[in-house]
Amino acid sequence: MTQPNGSGRADVRKRVAITGIGIVSPLGIGRQEFWTNLIEGRSGIAPIASIDVTSYPCKLAAEVKGFNPADYLGDKGLKYLTKGTKFLTSAIKMALEDARLNTNGHFPEHAGVIIGSALGNYSQTTDYTYNIFKLGPEKLLPMASFDVALNSSINFASVFFKLKGPSRTISSGFTSSMDAIGNAFNLIRSGRDNLLIAGGVEQLSLDSYLIFLLQGLLSGSNNSGPELSRPFGRHRNGFVLGEGGYVVILEELESALSRGAKIYGEVIGYGTTYIGSNRFSLEEKISRVQRVMELALEDGSLSGESLDLIYANGNSSKLLDMIEARAIKGLSGDASKKALVTSVKPLAGECYGAAGALQVVSCVLAMENSLVPPIANLEDPDPECNLNLVTKKALQIDIRSAMVNSLDPAGNGSCLVLKNSSQ
Amino acid sequence: MRRVVVTGIGLVTALGATVKETWEAMLAGKDGISEITSFDTSRYKVHRACEVKKLNFNGHIITKKPFTVYDCLLASAREAMEDSGLDGYEPLRRDRVGVSIGTLAGELSLFERRLRDHHLNKADGFDIEVALSYPPMTLSTQLAEEFRMEGPNIILINACSSGNHAISWAFDAIREGKVDAMIVGGSDVVPQTEFTHFHNLKSLAPERCQPFDKNRQGLVVGAGAGVLILESLEQARKRDARMYAEVKGYGLSSDGYHMTAPHPSGEGPVRAMEVALASAGLSYKDIDYISAHGTGTPLNDKMETLALQTVFREMAQDIPCSSVKSMIGHTMGAASAIESIVCCMAIKEGAIPPTINYETEDPECNLDCVPNQARECKTNYALNNSFAFGGNNASVVFGRVHLPVERGSVI
Repeated sequence: MTQPNGSGRADVRKRVAITGIGIVSPLGIGRQEFWTNLIEGRSGIAPIASIDVTSYPCKLAAEVKGFNPADYLGDKGLKYLTKGTKFLTSAIKMALEDARLNTNGHFPEHAGVIIGSALGNYSQTTDYTYNIFKLGPEKLLPMASFDVALNSSINFASVFFKLKGPSRTISSGFTSSMDAIGNAFNLIRSGRDNLLIAGGVEQLSLDSYLIFLLQGLLSGSNNSGPELSRPFGRHRNGFVLGEGGYVVILEELESALSRGAKIYGEVIGYGTTYIGSNRFSLEEKISRVQRVMELALEDGSLSGESLDLIYANGNSSKLLDMIEARAIKGLSGDASKKALVTSVKPLAGECYGAAGALQVVSCVLAMENSLVPPIANLEDPDPECNLNLVTKKALQIDIRSAMVNSLDPAGNGSCLVLKNSSQ
Repeated sequence: MRRVVVTGIGLVTALGATVKETWEAMLAGKDGISEITSFDTSRYKVHRACEVKKLNFNGHIITKKPFTVYDCLLASAREAMEDSGLDGYEPLRRDRVGVSIGTLAGELSLFERRLRDHHLNKADGFDIEVALSYPPMTLSTQLAEEFRMEGPNIILINACSSGNHAISWAFDAIREGKVDAMIVGGSDVVPQTEFTHFHNLKSLAPERCQPFDKNRQGLVVGAGAGVLILESLEQARKRDARMYAEVKGYGLSSDGYHMTAPHPSGEGPVRAMEVALASAGLSYKDIDYISAHGTGTPLNDKMETLALQTVFREMAQDIPCSSVKSMIGHTMGAASAIESIVCCMAIKEGAIPPTINYETEDPECNLDCVPNQARECKTNYALNNSFAFGGNNASVVFGRVHLPVERGSVI
């Protein structure tokens, strides 16, 4: 565990294991509570409590509830931390403990952290800016800017856990955390790093709410009907916001095995490319999303027909769900006939930059339990999204390999391929 | 593994609107500092910064300020793209050209301006156009649109080492054959928010930036952008592109120590530099020039000297190691992208820019910081250091491009 980071110079391809999971989510704190609620279909979506939305049309979101950061971080200094920093740092703590790394002298000294966040501490940044004008710059104490930068949650985590490896924040919109996990996977596979904490974090704030509301992306905005997230549903009308911190521990397989770590599964492929240009026609967008999936499959040397499960981006967006469904349909061979398709967002919300990591942890838990949770609220599937959608109840199947999609309507499409190493 | 070369560069700094202008001013040892004009500094103890004075859009000079982060980025990206000739390469696969950009704060200054100029409450200040420009991802997607590139779009937010992070992301992607080229860089202006943050941490020098000087008082905030076109050697040779330098390797590390202060021993930077050298397959003895992080804060320069002494041992005093931050300020998310271009120019032009404002030797900074005068010096390998707030370290090694001996068409 204490070997220094490699240079990534040799032409090697190490295998990359997932050895720990940490979750702070509207569906529950910790992987057990999260999974139980997911399988039992208990939704994390409820009337928004943390911000005042009286004067705006959309009233629902998936907010983290019943979370006590002191349980994970202790009481000291909590008042200086933003909600997002508490989510992320607690999720990392859980993931390290889950991987049995934070105890018994196995502290990962050369571990690094790569986290995706589209907005990070957006509302705290703008609060600080506002206070410069409202109170005057001389009134702002140095500690007032302790945790207000977009990436300060990640910096704090690297300081809190005394990490010596790379610390990196990726901010590529909705695919941020998928790109963070994909990047961490690449760095371990190339032999450069040995152990990386990867995932995503976002926090609900009035600023983030307004950004999505004013773009007309939320379910129920622009008088589009009732607020309900129903990915691939005939009457879907946008997404319901979420938040949370979702983290996995990625570890070079041999060294994970040699310390007797539990192996949840392996990451075997990652692909990313630009899909969101408004220059692209609908057909081009579909073929690009399909291309992202093919890139990830090629990267993992896996044929689409081997996929048992696709954890879809499916966030209940009118256009994007259809694009994704048709892209999946276009995969070569009988991939779309065989693979089951599900989405976690109708229960956990669309947590944008953290969504990729939310889906990855959901997929890993599905693999571990050989159980695919259904797409909640999906009563009336859209005939244009004609896939093996899992509806109504969870399906028991062995999942040997799975794919997780993350799509930004104005940015990247990114895709990760996972393999169940117990098979 | 493919090799990665720099085939185009573009610069916007307080010293000039093009690579040529900035480079000539740097070699002349000019200081880009001036009174801050983009916001009122009367309630601060510091009034000076290295702001950008003009932009050059392919020969069209713009002086109407204030400039946005994207304005600076676009001007330098256009210069770099034109310089590279990439756009005119017919067989170019646009889906294999991506964009990776580093920034500290994105377009935060737009939000500031709206609050400030309209005396608004925060919620009223929420204008969708402004709000949508803040998420930093818009910087890379706008560039992708501008140049019609369709590969991955990545934004790296790593405080003042963002530029080196953006370069290393792109380096990996090209080396592994995922893409053929990347538009890479960093851009930042001087947002009042960041200025206030540094000011209230007492990190700012009141008059000028004096890296490695005994009486150094802190950093000077700067604005600017640097963009590099990174490309596989294979494609660069196929299209007969000019090559400034090769990206040889990089190293990343964290101090894991403190949110703002560096670890005094410099152990994090030591790891970043050592991994960078190992990744480049080089020994410390091979490095001819070091572009220092050299912010001019008492803590950083002392720590960086210690770290350099650890890595470069008996040669630490002899390798020229300058900080252009003395002339263009600390351009934050853009700094290491700009300084990467300085490394490329040092390799290509055989000259090293100085550390200006250097007056009094500091025994704790016992380095050859190329004081006040530029120097002719043949550089085969250059190391670019960036050690950001939060202990976020990234070093990149650049080298002269040595082409393999032709044997058929094998590269």
